[in-house]
Amino acid sequence: MAEKKFERRTTLDPAVADLLSGMQQRQAESQLPRKERERLGKERAKIQSRREQRATYDLPPSLREEIMALSEELRIPASQLVTLALARFLRDYQNETIDLGIYKQPSRSPRYDWNLVFPDDLIRIKKKK
Amino acid sequence: MKVFAFANQKGGVGKTTSAVTLADGLSRHKIKTLLIDLDPQGHLALSFGLDKSPGLYRLICLDEPLEKVVVNIRPHLDLVAGDKQTEKVKRQITLSDFRENILSDLLADAPYDAVLLDLAPSLDVLHLNGLIASDWVIIPTRPDALAVDGVKEILTTMAEVEQSGHRYQGYSILPTFFDRTTRETLLQFQELASAFGEHLWPPIPQDTRVRETAAYGKTLWEYSPASTAMTGYREGRQKLGGYKQVLARMLEVLNG
Repeated sequence: MAEKKFERRTTLDPAVADLLSGMQQRQAESQLPRKERERLGKERAKIQSRREQRATYDLPPSLREEIMALSEELRIPASQLVTLALARFLRDYQNETIDLGIYKQPSRSPRYDWNLVFPDDLIRIKKKK
Repeated sequence: MKVFAFANQKGGVGKTTSAVTLADGLSRHKIKTLLIDLDPQGHLALSFGLDKSPGLYRLICLDEPLEKVVVNIRPHLDLVAGDKQTEKVKRQITLSDFRENILSDLLADAPYDAVLLDLAPSLDVLHLNGLIASDWVIIPTRPDALAVDGVKEILTTMAEVEQSGHRYQGYSILPTFFDRTTRETLLQFQELASAFGEHLWPPIPQDTRVRETAAYGKTLWEYSPASTAMTGYREGRQKLGGYKQVLARMLEVLNG
């Protein structure tokens, strides 16, 4: 029977492991041709510059699908459509042309006082089976 | 109570700065902490803006009780300072019976949650007392070949101490003066990681603020709490290394 080869695993502190892999990646990049290094540098800078612009919210899937469909149809980035929608909402809210009261219902959450409950004709939320 | 020794036979690796910063950090978590200077250079007192004083000499040579010798320097933080009279302590210990356990016996009932011993970069009887009194040894090291050799020396000494019956709860390697941009740092860090695995703690980034803070007689918590040496490197959304992360590791050790 062939002899099994076992490899010893080194357990590292998670911070040490992350730092080490980052340093190894940078070291490997430094060996690449200049053009490749510049391309990776630009990609990293792009990702870093966009970090402040990113946000995560829970949205009804139907709304997300509609935004994506509109984005495809108009050939406009979905992020820009959502930015426009949010900006318009904030302006309407400041001008008091939108009334949240009609959607508000008391919340049982210890963190929030209210929930917004949307009518079906506004947002089609798929009911859980 | 847990006793931590900061030891490396190589000098200039950040033993005193690490002991001062982490002791202050523990005290800020309301952990009753005692710092003891076992180095005749007496730099612990200077690091807190105090004058050197023969605290260790009074404790061991003049048999004064611990509570009379300690200086309260911050809430929850006391210091047994040292100065050149610490050299006399070594001579006295050398002439004593059971000389390796003197410090250990003195600390047996000390009313502290954590005791941090700042050992001198030497291998003498006081150094041995510090190692025998400790439960956990923190070995600061620069990521260079000579300092890493000092780590091996300390571990050999610890193994000898264990042969005499003392049991350590653990040890940690603390890379200091860490400059992640150099190839030599990466090579030494890789070597430390593969040799010591989980014993390797996150490193302390090289930071000019650390040198400045000693000149002002302040700790990093007071002088520059947001410095890289304190908060570590930003890597994506997380921070890696720095004294705050190392303090978290120490708290894990303290809480078992």
